[in-house]
Amino acid sequence: MKTQILSKPVGLEHPNVKRVIEIAEEIMSKNKVLNLETLYNIAKKRLKIPRNGLLFIIQLLINKKILIEGSKFSRETVLSNSIRNRIYRYIILNPGVHFSILRKKALSEEMGSSGQLVWHLEMLLKFNYIKKIKVGNYTVFLPYELDEMAGRILFILRDRINNKIIHLLNENKTVIKSDIYKEIDEKREDVYYRINYLLDHGIITLNQDLDSEICINTNLNDFFIEILDTSKSYTKKKLR
Amino acid sequence: MVLNWNIEVIIDFIVATLGIIVTVISYYSPKSKKITSLLFMRFGWIFFWIFLLFDGLAFLFINEVLAVFTGLLLIPTTIFIVIGVTYTIKETFYSKGLLVISGLSTLFIYVGTQPGAIGISLEAGYLRVDWIGVFNIIGIFFTSISVFYLFFWGLKTWVNSPILIKKEASIFFIGILFICPLGLIFYVLYLFETLLILVSDIMIMIGALIFIFTLAREPKLLYILPFTIHRIIVKDRDGHPLYDHDWSETNISEAIFTGFLNAVQLISEEVMHIGGLLDINLEEGILILKESKNITVGLVASKTSKLLRDSVIKFTDDFERKFERELKNSVKDMSQYEAAFELIEKYFSNFPYKIIKSKKQPLILTGKYVKIPLELENKLRKIFPDEEEFETIKTELIRSPLSFSSEFAKFYQELKDEIKKISDENIKYLDEN
Repeated sequence: MKTQILSKPVGLEHPNVKRVIEIAEEIMSKNKVLNLETLYNIAKKRLKIPRNGLLFIIQLLINKKILIEGSKFSRETVLSNSIRNRIYRYIILNPGVHFSILRKKALSEEMGSSGQLVWHLEMLLKFNYIKKIKVGNYTVFLPYELDEMAGRILFILRDRINNKIIHLLNENKTVIKSDIYKEIDEKREDVYYRINYLLDHGIITLNQDLDSEICINTNLNDFFIEILDTSKSYTKKKLR
Repeated sequence: MVLNWNIEVIIDFIVATLGIIVTVISYYSPKSKKITSLLFMRFGWIFFWIFLLFDGLAFLFINEVLAVFTGLLLIPTTIFIVIGVTYTIKETFYSKGLLVISGLSTLFIYVGTQPGAIGISLEAGYLRVDWIGVFNIIGIFFTSISVFYLFFWGLKTWVNSPILIKKEASIFFIGILFICPLGLIFYVLYLFETLLILVSDIMIMIGALIFIFTLAREPKLLYILPFTIHRIIVKDRDGHPLYDHDWSETNISEAIFTGFLNAVQLISEEVMHIGGLLDINLEEGILILKESKNITVGLVASKTSKLLRDSVIKFTDDFERKFERELKNSVKDMSQYEAAFELIEKYFSNFPYKIIKSKKQPLILTGKYVKIPLELENKLRKIFPDEEEFETIKTELIRSPLSFSSEFAKFYQELKDEIKKISDENIKYLDEN
């Protein structure tokens, strides 16, 4: 089928095809909904080409994937992007994850740039799939429904040494501060750095009677157990 | 000899002449000239116009033999219409309807040659040569079969027509509505009021003209029901995709589809040879695979068809010829084969596109064609130096909320600063489990 209007071979360089693209650009730049009806009506009015010819051009643009199906993102459609979906699932599985870990594990260099990861994270934030909290210098990502305190603790527990310290304190209730590094078999300065960090964040406290001993903040004791359980069941529920 | 000129004769002659002219002209429409099913339908209509012509002649000469012959012309009319519709849908001549018609035809011929099949009477102020008794009943039955076939086919075509040819399908269906029920109703009513046969003739003529013209202008209407073609892909002997074209939505990505073709090709190497054609039944359709010297062409459709196989063969041969130089030089760049769109138009132009499902279906322009402010474009280019990634992001940007780009840029900078700050720390905190 050759339509009368297309005297030149059909292609993206054909003047009428170019003009239809320009009209589509114009509709989108005005933030109007671009659909077949709008594009057809406006192009028909301006270009004055026969119906079949115009539909042929629109069909060509769809086939060349210049016009694709889609509209402004909504909460329902934002996860249709497979990479974004993958990042979201990683955060669900690993609440309290930091950007650098996401970079290594959820979107490797071969799959996309850091910019792309930030793009998808911002999209997930914008549509309330995830939220971010600041823990020290770190921006931490967690599922939107998860409590911020829980996210903070989960982030802290992701650190191997922190995890060992908390487990030690959980088992022994109180431990002498200077013994901890031996008990967990880690470098002294690394352990001291973390103890101070945990003290600063109120995760652990100094024993009221004996300053050299530390214990888990009693206010958080139950919370610890609860958030660990919650995060497990939350993850299971979300991935079901 | 006194000729029995009357309004019915005149209308018969006008309708028949006009019908024959239009049907013959429509045959020369380049789009539909070689379509077999349409050829059968045209034969059906030509016999119908001849039927009307002889009906007029029988009245004009008040001739009973001509009246019987006129009635018998309904046999080829009905047979060709039924074959035409069946062939359109199933690519075969045979149908139960055809069996019934064949059986009835013998009876019709027998009854027609018996005395008392025709009667001459004075009705509506002029002499009429009427079919009477069983001959008349079978005659009406024959007419009804054709129009019912046309009606149900037209209705199904209209209901299933894709949005891009909905307008043509509607006009086509309006044409059929003139034939059935309107034409048929008046045809039956003429048993009670003679002059209504004229209304029936005029209705059928209007309907037939619309029918013939619409099909000649838009033969895609003929291919709405038989099958849906989804996709064609051309790959070279190394398995690289060279050309890809969609008619309807499929969720198979180019890479997966090419991979699938490669796998199928490997499995079927023993049965395939250069120039060979293979039909592979898929769960929800068929894959027609064609091997040639340099390429393999795969077409996915809802079901197999001789027409589709022929089209694939011709497309493959022409593709080899058109891109001989590129194929010889093992060019892998798909953009070099874009001109194959002309071959798609040449061999597959009659098959309707079903990608657009509704007029309101939202569309967006892909990244390459999206215009964004220069400042933002420069900023994004720095973040996304890879062209492909940049275009993907641009496509996403156009779908994003208004303030999104500035928020993204801010967030990107924040995270960049954060990573720098963290990397300056003496103790690496994120010592993960």
